[in-house]
Amino acid sequence: MAEASQQEEILGKAYDLRLLKRLWRFIVPYRGLFFAAMALLPLQLAFGLAQPYLMKVGIDQYIGEGNLWGLQGVGLLFLGALLGESLTLFFQYYLTMLVAQRCLADLRVAIFAHVQELPMTYFDRNPVGRLVTRMTTDVDVLQEMFSSGVMTLIADFVMVIWIIGIMFYLHVQLALVSLALIPPMAIAINYFRVRARQTYRQIRERIARINAYLGEAISGMAVIQLFAREEKSYREFDDRNAAHRDAYHRSNLYEAALYSMVEAAGSVSVALLLWYGGGEVLHGVIGIGTLVAFKEYIHRFFVPLRDFSQKYAIMQSAMSSAERIFQLLDTPLTIESAKKASVPRPFRGQVVFDNVWFHYKADDPVLKGVSFRIEPGEKIAVVGATGSGKTTTIKLLNRFYDIQKGSIKVSGVDVREWDLRALRRHIGVVLQDVFLFSGDIRTNLALGDLSIPMDRIEEAARAANATSFIQRLPQGFHAHVRERGSNFSGGERQLLSLARVLVFQPEILVMDEATSSVDTETELLIQDALEKVMRDRTCLLIAHRLSTIRNADRIIVLHHGEVREMGSHAQLMEKKGIYHRLYQLQYERDVVKLAAREPTPEVYD
Amino acid sequence: MRRLKRYLGRYWRRYLLGGFCLLGTATLVMWIPWWIREAIRIMEHDGSLRDVTFYAVLIGAAAVAQGIVRTYSRALIFNAGRNVEYDLRNDLFAHLQKLPLSFYQSQRTGDLMSRVINDISAVRVMLGPGILNLVNAPLYYVYALALMFAMDARMTLATLAPFMLLMFAARKFRSGIMKSSLEVQQQMSALSSHVQENLSGIHVVKAYSQEELQTRQFTALNEEFRAKSMSLARLRGIIAPVMQGMNALTVLIVIWYGGIRVVRGDLLVADIVAFIAYLNILAWPTAAFGWMLSLFERGRAAMKRLEEIFEVTPAITSPAVPAVFQGLKQGLEFRHVSFAYDRQKNGSFALQDISLSLPVGKTLALVGRIGSGKSTLAHLIPRLFDVTSGEICMDGQDIRKLSLRELRQTMGYVPQDPFLFSTSLRQNLGFGRDEAGDAQLEQAVAVARLDRDLENFPQGLKTVVGERGITLSGGQKQRATLARALVADCPVLILDDCLSSVDAQTEAEILQGLRSILKHKTCLIISHRISAVKEADEILVLEDGKIIERGSHQKLISYGGVYAELYQQQQLSEELEQI
Repeated sequence: MAEASQQEEILGKAYDLRLLKRLWRFIVPYRGLFFAAMALLPLQLAFGLAQPYLMKVGIDQYIGEGNLWGLQGVGLLFLGALLGESLTLFFQYYLTMLVAQRCLADLRVAIFAHVQELPMTYFDRNPVGRLVTRMTTDVDVLQEMFSSGVMTLIADFVMVIWIIGIMFYLHVQLALVSLALIPPMAIAINYFRVRARQTYRQIRERIARINAYLGEAISGMAVIQLFAREEKSYREFDDRNAAHRDAYHRSNLYEAALYSMVEAAGSVSVALLLWYGGGEVLHGVIGIGTLVAFKEYIHRFFVPLRDFSQKYAIMQSAMSSAERIFQLLDTPLTIESAKKASVPRPFRGQVVFDNVWFHYKADDPVLKGVSFRIEPGEKIAVVGATGSGKTTTIKLLNRFYDIQKGSIKVSGVDVREWDLRALRRHIGVVLQDVFLFSGDIRTNLALGDLSIPMDRIEEAARAANATSFIQRLPQGFHAHVRERGSNFSGGERQLLSLARVLVFQPEILVMDEATSSVDTETELLIQDALEKVMRDRTCLLIAHRLSTIRNADRIIVLHHGEVREMGSHAQLMEKKGIYHRLYQLQYERDVVKLAAREPTPEVYD
Repeated sequence: MRRLKRYLGRYWRRYLLGGFCLLGTATLVMWIPWWIREAIRIMEHDGSLRDVTFYAVLIGAAAVAQGIVRTYSRALIFNAGRNVEYDLRNDLFAHLQKLPLSFYQSQRTGDLMSRVINDISAVRVMLGPGILNLVNAPLYYVYALALMFAMDARMTLATLAPFMLLMFAARKFRSGIMKSSLEVQQQMSALSSHVQENLSGIHVVKAYSQEELQTRQFTALNEEFRAKSMSLARLRGIIAPVMQGMNALTVLIVIWYGGIRVVRGDLLVADIVAFIAYLNILAWPTAAFGWMLSLFERGRAAMKRLEEIFEVTPAITSPAVPAVFQGLKQGLEFRHVSFAYDRQKNGSFALQDISLSLPVGKTLALVGRIGSGKSTLAHLIPRLFDVTSGEICMDGQDIRKLSLRELRQTMGYVPQDPFLFSTSLRQNLGFGRDEAGDAQLEQAVAVARLDRDLENFPQGLKTVVGERGITLSGGQKQRATLARALVADCPVLILDDCLSSVDAQTEAEILQGLRSILKHKTCLIISHRISAVKEADEILVLEDGKIIERGSHQKLISYGGVYAELYQQQQLSEELEQI
């Protein structure tokens, strides 16, 4: 048991060292400031530790002799040391924080930039909240390490060495007597530290269990209530809660004992000092001032010993945060531009799927050998039942996911050989659930790119029939957009997403039409805008509107991950196959509805 | 705050005993400098080593005693704080269990969690370290000042001046820090909401190749955060040097002013030493004074926020005197039931004037499009929500007059969203009935067609399903929740579209297995699949919260309405599946 924990400790140390090394890389750009802070450390200590010495000189040499002039001199020196200590302390902290804030800001950006490049599969698996925690809470913990952990640990260590040195310089025997308690104290502190460490681990586990239980109970409260399980759940929660409390009771006792022991040892050392030093004073070997100086040094010696366990705990949690952060930074970017990425020119909006196989989960293929070809300017509608692989098809085109077999070529080049950014700039995507960022309309249409001139944005909005509702807003293009665009209707959001496409002018348009119903007027606006957006573009559309499939040059019917039928609406209807049924199932209702709402024939033609 | 007083009252013995220990500690701490003074006095007067040794032993003994008493004082008070934390957490949990579904729908789990975790911890810090320091600070001050005055009044006043100055400055300073740290907090939340939003819309960011731009925007916010953190750090950085400097300043005053008086002969070096010792002792309570006040401020604010949760009255409770209920005998009945999620917003009724009856032993089915009100109707029966008007009766008795517990124990409910707990499969299945035997579990597992899946789980029923059942597929989760309700073996069974992720073949097998069970039960089946409902005794078709068609399968088909249309579409889909 003891051996195991020892081994773990050794492993832990090697590991922590590696983490510290990686953290160091973020400090390197600011190493000048960092070393300046370090250089102030001995200076600060010297100012601090000079004070007891000056007390000794003052008491023994000047007060004892009645030399007030000399006392004044010592007083001024003391004042100097005091100011010096305060100033160096401040600047040392300030420089440390300067380094910490800068390198942690860099770390945050590094995490953010890395996360931007992670493949979609990562976001499918990891909740957003967890990633936010990495960039905020975990980085915060590291800041605490800087401000009250590692730097003060170094300072404390240096100070303890200094004090021992000074004591021996002043009086060897007295130093030995004053420090006599250190070896037994070290043993005792170590004993408590090991105990405390074990309880800390227990506490961490137990609080995690409480929070997990609580979180689960909150999300599943309806189930608990439905099964009238409140009392049992309460008992289970109580068990966890009590276990946590008990672990804390133990750790409180250890901590209290440790704290009190160090304080008591300080006083016992003073007693030893008085006993042995008293004899020396009475024999005239040393002055009372030396005794006073020793007492002060003992006081300064025991404070860091007392705070050690606290700082150690801070370091521990900083290391686990660092570990989580680096784990995230080490997540491989599986979808990147090829080494020799190409940007084919001139761009032709041609798309070729050649025997494409794809699965999210092994053994569960979503696309099974899909092949089709879209010529520049052609408009293709993809139809199919739910789960047929429609949405997946459009996600593959701009390389949100990589396929397992076959190839997808855009403008004659495999998407995996394209420069990723360039590829995506050529493909405009409109997804079913239109995502708007909080901000204003302008930033949403230009996606924050301020270099896009206003008239281009206005032009796009006009073409997308969005101007009329934008102008009705008091602030027009600067009208506030709430998180996820919740202050706009579904139809308005769709119009904005079409305007967004027109701002960026991609050669290829990929669209998953929204299914949400909108009022007739908006529907007409959307259809008209859509027509303009589709003009002169290669289009791949997952159609939910009758008008969209009617406007398409060709229709591809996906069924269970395979292309089963292809052709024009009329051809496919005649065939009376899958499309015929799908049409009855998904689109015929539209005909009825539209006919009922708006009897004019041009509406659905 | 009344609640807090109650908790404190529960542990008053510990606090009182802890207080006595603090008093004892303070006494021992305070006499040590006094004895040091005596010892040095002896040295100054060239007394005997024996007398010095006497005081040294006294100090040593006091130190050891102090160590023991101090240990108890800290352990007692900190533990009492942990005890209150424990009670508070338990009570909060018990309270949360009483709150209705509508409360949880209006709160985000994450927000609720962080409030509960952080606020309880702030209250605990107030009641542990906060109270300890609250007692200690005045104790130390009164004690030390009394002894210092006893030594020399003028000297005491001279050293106290900077302390007073310090306390005054600290108060001003603290408000500056509060303001600055609030700014840092706000900037931090701006930063995290940017990240949150960016990640929620990562597909847009990627599709439009906006990664670099997004990173630039983040960097700008991050820089602002850094600047604000830095100005806070600058303020914070001043505290420690000022405190340390002030303390050193008082020591300087003692040496300088005291030194002059020693030379003049009206003070001893021993007094100087004792004064320095007392000032050292007072350094911590002085420095910690502002910190202690902030602990109380934070603790009170946190308690207020917790109180807000405690004050949410459970809207759905058992009546004070529940009506007697001895098992379902006649059946369930809806009498002109209407329901709106938000009573304040008039007009948008989710259900309107629903009347239906479900006699014992019969099966009633509900069909309708998404959003037609099917699940809402099912939610009303176990009182996850209460009706807005009308009444739901069990054996003619309004369910609001029954004990909530008895009502809910009458029914096995399989919700639409299959929620499982992160325990073993066995524990999940026995959720409604821990004492269920192996035979019952096996039967339920067989009916829910979980048996084949279990063969593939190496640990069988002991398999841990992970958070929200993450290790299971959607279909497996739904079937597990079905099995859970079957194990509970209640007279009423409510199936809320609970087989939507199960493939058609397995669904047919499950329905086959359920058939014999349903004979002995009163059942409400909600489904969007006709195959699941066509054998029901009566089928209701809901649209926009109203019943638009009702009757048997045959009758509804021949009627040629919405149900018939749904049936036709379903047949088309089935045909499609088979192509």
